[in-house]
Amino acid sequence: MPVNLPLSRPDFIEVENFSFHYGEKRAIFDISMKIPENQVTALIGPSGCGKSTLLRNINRMNDLIEGVRHEGDIRIGGTSLYDPSVEVISLRKRVGMVFQKYNPFAKSIYENVIFSLRVAGRSKRSLLDETVERALKSAALWDEVKDRLHDSAFGLSGGQQQRLCIARAIANQPEILLMDEPCAALDPLATLKIEELITRLKSQYTIVIVTHNMEQATRCSDRTAFLYMGKLAEYGETVQIFENPSNPETEAYITGRFS
Amino acid sequence: MPQDHHIPDPKRFNVSRATLWFDRFMGWLIRCGGVAVILAVFGIFYFVGKEVVPLFRTAEVGPAGEIGAETASAVLGVDEWGGLPFIYDGGERVVFVGVEGGTRRVIEVPGLAGLKVTAYAFDAVHSRVSLGLEDGRVGSFLVGYERKYGSDGKSMVEPSVTLEPWFTLENGSGPVTAVSYGDSGAGRVIAVRRGEGAAASVSVLRLGMKRGLVGKGKLSLLEELDVTSELGAVPLLLRASQNGEMVLVACADGGVVYFLADSDGVSKRQTFRPFDSVPPQQMNFLFGGVSVILTAEDGRQEQWSLFRTDQAGERLFGATKAFPNLGEGKVIFAASQRNRTFLTGAGRELSIRHSTSGEVRWQGTLDLDPVTAVLDAKGEHFIVAAADGEARRYSIHDPHPEAGWRAFFGKVWYEGGSGPVYQWQSTGGSDDFEQKLSLIPLIFGSLKGTAYALLFSIPIALLAAVFSAAFLPLKIKRVVKPVMEIMSSLPSVVLGFLAGLWLAPVLETRVPSVMMMTLLVPLAALGIGYVWCRLPIGFRNRFAIGSEWMIVVPILVLAGWIGWSLGPVIESFLFVYKDLATGKEIADFRLWWPQTFGISFEQRNSLVLGFMMGFAVIPVIFTIAEDALSNVPKSLTAASAALGANRWQVVWTVMLPVAASGIFSALMIGFGRAVGETMIMVMATGNTPITEWNIFNGMRTLSANIAVELPEAPVGSTHYRTLFLGAVVLFAMTFVMNTIAEVLRQHLRDRNKIV
Repeated sequence: MPVNLPLSRPDFIEVENFSFHYGEKRAIFDISMKIPENQVTALIGPSGCGKSTLLRNINRMNDLIEGVRHEGDIRIGGTSLYDPSVEVISLRKRVGMVFQKYNPFAKSIYENVIFSLRVAGRSKRSLLDETVERALKSAALWDEVKDRLHDSAFGLSGGQQQRLCIARAIANQPEILLMDEPCAALDPLATLKIEELITRLKSQYTIVIVTHNMEQATRCSDRTAFLYMGKLAEYGETVQIFENPSNPETEAYITGRFS
Repeated sequence: MPQDHHIPDPKRFNVSRATLWFDRFMGWLIRCGGVAVILAVFGIFYFVGKEVVPLFRTAEVGPAGEIGAETASAVLGVDEWGGLPFIYDGGERVVFVGVEGGTRRVIEVPGLAGLKVTAYAFDAVHSRVSLGLEDGRVGSFLVGYERKYGSDGKSMVEPSVTLEPWFTLENGSGPVTAVSYGDSGAGRVIAVRRGEGAAASVSVLRLGMKRGLVGKGKLSLLEELDVTSELGAVPLLLRASQNGEMVLVACADGGVVYFLADSDGVSKRQTFRPFDSVPPQQMNFLFGGVSVILTAEDGRQEQWSLFRTDQAGERLFGATKAFPNLGEGKVIFAASQRNRTFLTGAGRELSIRHSTSGEVRWQGTLDLDPVTAVLDAKGEHFIVAAADGEARRYSIHDPHPEAGWRAFFGKVWYEGGSGPVYQWQSTGGSDDFEQKLSLIPLIFGSLKGTAYALLFSIPIALLAAVFSAAFLPLKIKRVVKPVMEIMSSLPSVVLGFLAGLWLAPVLETRVPSVMMMTLLVPLAALGIGYVWCRLPIGFRNRFAIGSEWMIVVPILVLAGWIGWSLGPVIESFLFVYKDLATGKEIADFRLWWPQTFGISFEQRNSLVLGFMMGFAVIPVIFTIAEDALSNVPKSLTAASAALGANRWQVVWTVMLPVAASGIFSALMIGFGRAVGETMIMVMATGNTPITEWNIFNGMRTLSANIAVELPEAPVGSTHYRTLFLGAVVLFAMTFVMNTIAEVLRQHLRDRNKIV
């Protein structure tokens, strides 16, 4: 599959008639959408609407849960995630993920960043050092931690830990970065820093972000999808969704009438 | 604005009296419970301490009466209770002196009137005074004591004196100058010296009981042999052993000559020189008649025992122990008739010593110059007498002479052994058995048993825990885990029974099969892994994650079966025993192992133990380790998986470090279970207290030892208290191990703490 085309592909991630079940419970109903490359796409919607489930299907993290099953297809760059030739491990290397609650490992800052290289069996010192610096700089954390790279990651503040998790995902050089409410556990200042970071990162990565924060969606996303009861209620340019929603439920949600 | 705010009633905040009362009651109840637990623990410590501490006390000796007699004391004997000693000075009568009340009683020795006694000696074991006459006859009289109860209910000891037959010597000339009588009941021997100085001759008389149809039988002389020519120097001391088979003659050149007098006749066996050219001043057999204590004039004291060395096929005397120097002065000696204790001294300095441990139990100074001493049969009193007949009685309180640090933890040269060893043998077939109370073989056994149990359990339990926590589908895990937990509640007596009566006989003949299985099963597992990685991804993706066991289990079972069936084939090639006598070749591992490695093969061995202990230990380790691994936060495993780690890498890099302290606890609890396990050890290990790491023999653990021997040990005896000491050692071992483990665990937890 082609890796880096000069032009952004508008249909980089294609979700096609995708449905998802946790055992008997159906979480996603027949969603189809196209997520463009090098843009930030926000998934919004009330709790339990299936936005996290959809996000976690893009790197097949939901496979780890027992009794799940899906219909339809998700393609990245034209290749189905569910093709028999796809190895989940290499898929996850292409699709990085940042979680709602920052979750660094009980290791040093340095070791946290290079974790993906370690599991891939890369151990050349110069490569590791270079990766750490690049990833931490990309995550806007370098200046704050460059003097204590070998200290425990738990010594950082919450916001710094979350940026460390982003750096850890970036170090893997993914094409896509999935963010599952990355600022849910952070204070407003730390949130602001992450949002700035997201905006800066979209030139290199295709970012899909789940958020409950409407302002965050307007501030840093290019496109927004509103999911409601497992269905894609509305999807389009962020400006259009927020200023002129065509779906009455979208309007009700973004104006705060329910959540 | 409304001003009528509701003013709350302050009583609303009062707590009801019942609640307060109940809270106070529960507080006290819980406090009582806590204090009771602490008291119970201290109570256990107190009880165990009370049993163990007396082992480490030395002997206590105190004065217990004076005896005055006008007869010059030469030979001193005493009854079993230490109350009525007798003094004999070579005359025609024996003087008995009561310690309490000072009653004196003189008994004429029947048939001794008019005879001139020129030599006499006392043998405390049979209370026999052996006699030698001027006319060259030898004989003896026995002093008997009988306890009688008078009409007033008071008990009194009634002494009696019985003369035994005389034997006329044929060899030598002149009066008898020394005599020693050895008596084992059936066989008897008398050593006699006639004449003085260079003219002295030594004869050994062998006596036997001629059995008649009725009655006791008649004592008769079987053989008399003049051994003077075999001595090489002037004979000074004679000693016949209490088993009636040995005679030792100490000569002026420092040599001690050992003659064996068994049914084949009297023959010289050995000459040894305990103090080089210095002749021993005293030479006395210890209780049991296997060891002799030799004392030189300068106070050196050594123990020589009979044992088989590698070169000599027969048992000869060799030096086994040196005791602290006695000092200068007239040496006195009295051996106990209960154990290996003896009373010895030079001049006024007296000490009680124990030959097994080589320790001095008591040391003291007397205010009279003793010429003779005697210990009563119970070992509760000793009596020393000066030349003028003045005698003193002392009480001894030394209930555990065979105990002590060296006896429990040191290498001890026991009688009959060819060197110092660690050995446990608490009871024997005869009264004169020497207790071997080294705890080292038991500590070793506990460690060996634990090591083999953990060797089998830890790898299986930990791998199973990882598999269950990280690889097994929830549906199967929900069945597997409770089953494992039920396994841990199997009564260990059932496991021990299975191990001893079913598994041991099966494994005995199938050792090569077991070896092949332990080789093939892991190899098969690795092989499956290798092949699986090389299968096309399209094929692998057809199996749902976690369902790989459906392929793995049948292959592993097959590998196990192949290994089991291959065993005899391998045995017929590799483990061929050559019968040295017939030159025949037999394919049998049981014979091959001892022939090749020179170490034994037992049916009840560490392999059987390892298997069965697995049933007891694996569930414990598995359950706790599995919990620790399953409790690793999902956020961490998910983060690791999202970064492209495969399942094994998730386990290795995230789950294991985070769960390390929990896994460590699991191992420690498994260790505790293995160390303390008793029934399986009792039934499956053969209970041999040996110190060998050989997997094909057994062991005796501290816990099994307590279980096996405590019902047989008399309460308050050294043996009984030593078993309690074993319990203390067991406790100390687990305490030290657990403390170290807890420190390590805290360290591990701090290092992998999750904020």
